[in-house]
Amino acid sequence: MILIKGLRQGLLILFSDAENATWATQLDELKVKLEQSGSFFQNARVAFDVRSLNLSLDDLQIAQTLLESYRVNLWAIASQSDKTIANTRRMNLATDPNNEEMPSLVTDDIGTLKENPFAATAEGSDGIFLQRLVRSGQTLRHPGHIVIIGDVHPGAELIAGSDIIVWGKLQGAAHAGSTGNDKAIVCALDLAPSILRIGNTTRRVPADKKRKYPKPEMAKIVNQEMNIIEWTP
Amino acid sequence: MDSVVITITSGKGGVGKTTTTANIGTALALLGKKVVIADADIGLRNLDIVLGLENRIVYDSVDFIEGRCKLRQALIRDKRAGELYLLPAAQTRDKTAIKPQQMVDMINELRDEFHYILIDSPAGIEQGFQTAIAPADRVIVIINPEVSSVRDADRVIGLVEAHQKGSAMLIVNRIDSARVKKKDMLSVEDITEILSSQVIGIVPEDEEILSSTNRGQPVVLNSKGSAAQAYRDIARRIIGESVPLTMPSTGLFWQKLFGRA
Repeated sequence: MILIKGLRQGLLILFSDAENATWATQLDELKVKLEQSGSFFQNARVAFDVRSLNLSLDDLQIAQTLLESYRVNLWAIASQSDKTIANTRRMNLATDPNNEEMPSLVTDDIGTLKENPFAATAEGSDGIFLQRLVRSGQTLRHPGHIVIIGDVHPGAELIAGSDIIVWGKLQGAAHAGSTGNDKAIVCALDLAPSILRIGNTTRRVPADKKRKYPKPEMAKIVNQEMNIIEWTP
Repeated sequence: MDSVVITITSGKGGVGKTTTTANIGTALALLGKKVVIADADIGLRNLDIVLGLENRIVYDSVDFIEGRCKLRQALIRDKRAGELYLLPAAQTRDKTAIKPQQMVDMINELRDEFHYILIDSPAGIEQGFQTAIAPADRVIVIINPEVSSVRDADRVIGLVEAHQKGSAMLIVNRIDSARVKKKDMLSVEDITEILSSQVIGIVPEDEEILSSTNRGQPVVLNSKGSAAQAYRDIARRIIGESVPLTMPSTGLFWQKLFGRA
C-alpha cells in the first residue's frame, strides 16, 4: 500500500489512510521494502506523507527506530491530522517535505524544556528576535534568521537557515545557512565564535581573536572562502 | 507558613556546596528561623559530617520515601542553633533512589512547618541534580573564581532557567583578594560580567573553614572570621535585609591593614 517517490529534498514515502490500512501493517510493508532494496536506502534521508492518519508519538517513534535500524534518516512527516503534526513537532521533525524548513525549537541535551522559553517569537515568521543571553548547552534553531540582542556564551549553539545577527558577543558555535545556503551571513558586535559555519564551509576562529576593544564584524562566503570583514551597516 | 525552598548547586564538584549549605542553614537558624537542610547527594552524603551529626542518623530520606519511617523521624535536630534540622541522605544507595516528583512531595510536607528548606545538590547536571532542583523556589549557584567553575555555572544557570526556577543567584566562594589583585584569579566583577546574574554573597578563602569542617562545627556558630561573617551576611540577605556586598579581605593582619580593596 505504500509508495516511494523521489523529491528534490530526498525520498518521500506515501502511506495510505484507507480504513484497512493500519500503521503496523504498513510499517511491516516498509520493512520488507527496506530489506529487499539492500543498500539502496542506506544513509538516505526520507520524508513521510501519512495523509490523515492519526498517529501517536509512539507510532512515530517506532517508525523512526525502524528506519534507523536500516540507517535511514527520517527528517519530515507531512500529515493532515493535527495530532500527527503536533507529535511530529514534538520529535523535532519538519512537517512539510516540500519546504526545507527546520523545526524551530530550543532544545537542551539533557531533556526537553517544559515550555519553550523562546516560543513567543518563534512561530510562523521568517526570523526570530530575542533579547536574552544564550548560555552554555543551549541550542537555538530556526529555519529563517536569528537575531539576538545579548551575548552567546561559549558552549551555546545557534543554527539558522539564513542569517545570524548578534548584537553582543558571539562566543558559541554559529551555523548560518544551515540548509546549504552560501549567501547567509553571521554578524556580531564581537565576533569570536568557537566554530563558525556558513552553508557547508567551516572555520575555526583563532584564539587571538579575543580583543579588548572588539569591532563589529561580518562573516560571509566570497569565492567559496569564508571572509571576515568589518561590519558597517 | 510562608516557606522558601532553596537548592544550592554548582555543576562543578568541590566548590563548596555542602559547606555553604551547612553554614547558611545554621546562620538562618541563628537568626531565629525554623530551618531544614536536606542532603540530596544520595550515596555520597557529607552534610551530616560537616554539621557534626553523623552519629545521630537513624533514618534518612530514602527510608521515608520507601515507607520505613515518618518524615519527622528522619529529621535530626541540631541543638546548637535553635530550630535547625538535618534531613540526611542515604549512603548505601544512588541518585535514582528518589525521583524528582517524590522529592517535591517530600519537601512539600515540610513547607507547613519551616521557614527555610535548603537542599544540598550533588555535583553534575544528571538525575541527582534534576531531583535536587525539582522542589526549589530559588536556586543558588556556588562558583569558585576560576574559568572552569564559571563555565559550568553558565550551563547550570541555563538549566535552572529551563526548569522555570527564575534566575539563579550566585555565591562566589573561596575568593582571595590578594590573588585577584595580582590578576591570578577572576574577580567578582569578571564573574558577574560573564554570567549576568545576581551575586548574593562573596566568601573569602579562609583556613578556618577546613578545620571547622573537619570538626563538624559550621564556622557561623562561633567564629568572628571573615568567611563566617560572609555566611551570616548571606543569611541576612536571604531573609530580606539589605546588607551591602563588600569584597572581604583575606585573614592575614597586614592584608587587613593595607590590602582592603
